Amino acid sequence: MSSNAIRQLARDRSLFVPAGLFIVLLAAVATRGHGLFTMNGIAGAILVATPLILTALAITPIVMAGRGAVDLSVGPLMGFINVTLITWLVGNGVTNPVAVIGWAIGLGAAFQLIQALVIIYVRVAPIIVTLSGFLVLSGINLMVMSRPGGVAPDWMLSWGAGTSVFSPVLFLLLVAYVVWAGLRRTMFYRNLRMTGSDERMAYTSGVPVDTVRIIAHVVGGAFTGLAALSYTSLISSGDPTQGSTYTLQAVTALVLGGASLSGGRGGALGSTLGAINMFLISYLLSTFNFGTVSGFVTQMAFGLILVGSLLVNVFVICRRAAA
Amino acid sequence: MHNESTIRMVDVAKSFGETKALRKCDFEAYAGEVHAIVGENGSGKSTMAKIMSGVLHPDAGKVTILGEQITSPVDAKRVGLATIFQEVLVAEEASVFDNLFVGRDGIFCSEGNTDDRWREAETILARLVGKPVDLNEVVGRLPLSIKQWIVIARAILRRPKVLILDESSAALDLDSTIRLHEEIDRMRASGATILIVTHRIAELVRIADRATILRDGVTVGVLEKHDITEANLLAMMTHSDRRASEAKDYASKGGAGAGAILTARNLATHRTAAVFDFDLPQGAIVGVAGLDGQGQDAFVRAVAGIAQPFGGDVQVRCADTGKMTSVGTLDEAARAGISYVSGDRKREGIFPQQSIFENLAIGVYRKNMGPLGVIRKPSLKPMFKREVDRLRIKIGSPSNKITSLSGGNQQKVLIGRAFANDPQVIVLNDPARGVDLGTKRDLYRELRIFADKGGSVIYLSSEIEEFIGFADRVDVFFAGRLFRSLSGGDIAEEPILAAMFGQSRNTSVEFDLERTA
Repeated sequence: MSSNAIRQLARDRSLFVPAGLFIVLLAAVATRGHGLFTMNGIAGAILVATPLILTALAITPIVMAGRGAVDLSVGPLMGFINVTLITWLVGNGVTNPVAVIGWAIGLGAAFQLIQALVIIYVRVAPIIVTLSGFLVLSGINLMVMSRPGGVAPDWMLSWGAGTSVFSPVLFLLLVAYVVWAGLRRTMFYRNLRMTGSDERMAYTSGVPVDTVRIIAHVVGGAFTGLAALSYTSLISSGDPTQGSTYTLQAVTALVLGGASLSGGRGGALGSTLGAINMFLISYLLSTFNFGTVSGFVTQMAFGLILVGSLLVNVFVICRRAAA
Repeated sequence: MHNESTIRMVDVAKSFGETKALRKCDFEAYAGEVHAIVGENGSGKSTMAKIMSGVLHPDAGKVTILGEQITSPVDAKRVGLATIFQEVLVAEEASVFDNLFVGRDGIFCSEGNTDDRWREAETILARLVGKPVDLNEVVGRLPLSIKQWIVIARAILRRPKVLILDESSAALDLDSTIRLHEEIDRMRASGATILIVTHRIAELVRIADRATILRDGVTVGVLEKHDITEANLLAMMTHSDRRASEAKDYASKGGAGAGAILTARNLATHRTAAVFDFDLPQGAIVGVAGLDGQGQDAFVRAVAGIAQPFGGDVQVRCADTGKMTSVGTLDEAARAGISYVSGDRKREGIFPQQSIFENLAIGVYRKNMGPLGVIRKPSLKPMFKREVDRLRIKIGSPSNKITSLSGGNQQKVLIGRAFANDPQVIVLNDPARGVDLGTKRDLYRELRIFADKGGSVIYLSSEIEEFIGFADRVDVFFAGRLFRSLSGGDIAEEPILAAMFGQSRNTSVEFDLERTA
């Protein structure tokens, strides 16, 4: 069974480019110094990279369900969970971990459930629905909290210390992987891929495509909740605007990870690699001194590497596959 | 006499906007029979199949399948109905195995043992395809014929009590059709009801136990086995006593014009195939035949400039100067006056989001551009009307979407597009796939008129009957090259079939059509 799994992984050419890029970036980072390869370095890296990895994981099932359903609302949704958690829960003295974690995951799942129902029953194109979600939530976030502030619950402050590799933030990530691995073992994963590849085929073959789409969104929403928890522990407070920047980063990570935006192809491994690669790119660039423009250089590098990896995929990997 | 009834439709009606696809459709089928649904294009056959499958819902009337009402494909799966649709619906990114068993399980739980399924799938697919298929292979990397088998095997693997084949054999060659018929026989023997929606009359005469005939969305009659003949079917479908033999009166009256308008030298259809030469005389209709994947498809594509051949040179005589010029690209082919019509309407033909007018006129926009590249639409209107009348295309408003037309009428629009370019040579790649007899006749007639005026035609078909009484010459492909050219009295079923199987000239065909009956 495991040899079969490896064989399938080797057949999955979409992972060649992200895996290759990962190795190259790791080597490049190593030549620039060993800061990252210490206990503190890795602990810090996990803390910084986890929100991005989790948001990339959150949009993975939604994109896989097809119809060009790139979930643009993921960033503001993470921000919405963050600000409501700080303002409504902690602001009113609710700091019980169960309540906080339940709120984050439940709110994410509930919002995605609504989006899924609109997509299915109102029959609006998913990208329009999630774009509306992006805009509406971006506004609401500023209404809930007009400027960054507030404090995370006491028990969460230690999460963001970044002193140990085995922090609760790593645990959040592991929870997401366990859930994903569990889903992968069920028929849901196959139904999801089939729905994304060719929805008409799946429908006429008797796959309950609407239910599959709803579950994909709810799982994505729950992952967004996990992302919001890791994000809250990273900044230890509430921030109404920063969350929105994660949307485009998550989409970039997804594509860098080899997923197809038209659906049917993608996975946790690819999305994780894509997100880690983005983290490594910004880490690598931060070791150079670009002064005040370093943020712009990082953005530009993301764009160039995204285009570059797609070109490599088209001209090297696919060509060879066709020959 | 009959076994129990498995499907019953009473007074079923269905409209799509203005178009009434079904007006008053009655239907009944029994366990253990092969029942054909026959009718011209636009008579409502496909709509009927989709209603039975739960994909469409009737506006009026009652549909009972195995004693139950069906409202969705999930329902259909539950009662034991499987449908093979006209389109080859596969997930290109997924493995063969996943494609075969899609929709068989619950959302989370598998309802079968993977190892058992694997063995079963390997057995059935090997039997259908005629050779083993790797179930791990990604479907996107397989040829179209195997994809078609995957779709068929997907339905058969469900062991359905009712199986609907909606034009499913359209893309299959003769050899494959026989294997499919064997499978149908096997299922009939086990008590299943098999419905075949088809245009291939010869095929259903061979295999059907009963046939229901539709005309303009109304059931006009049911024929029992001994009454299913070509003449009877045609009479009921068209409501006139047109005899089948009359359809075959489009052979050349005069001789072909002098000189070749198109020549191919040392052409190779794939890397290992032997090279061959080809000449297309002016004013001739040359048929191209062959079993699936024998290079005929690559040949017509190369001639039309769609794809590059692996070797060799195609030259076309220039209309003005009379000189031969090489044709290697689509652009050069268009300039040399070669038009290409594909039978694969969905992929290579229609623009589904555009109007009928746009679909027909798109090829001549460049010739009708005014200042600043503005298209002079009024100047195109007479051309549009001429082509619609000539090809007898049944349309509502020209601004309706092309997808509002039936398959046969869509094909006519594509042929109109080819004619609109005023070509010297028309290359047709199996244009009659899934097209009814009336449309075929219109097509033969127009191509013959075109040839009589000095045009030349290359006509690839997967149905041998098409060439008889129509083509001036039939070039049969075998093993990637032109194997034999037949003309005159040799354009008949047996000699063409013999050549398709690569047999030498004087051997009789060891090919028993009765095997499937």
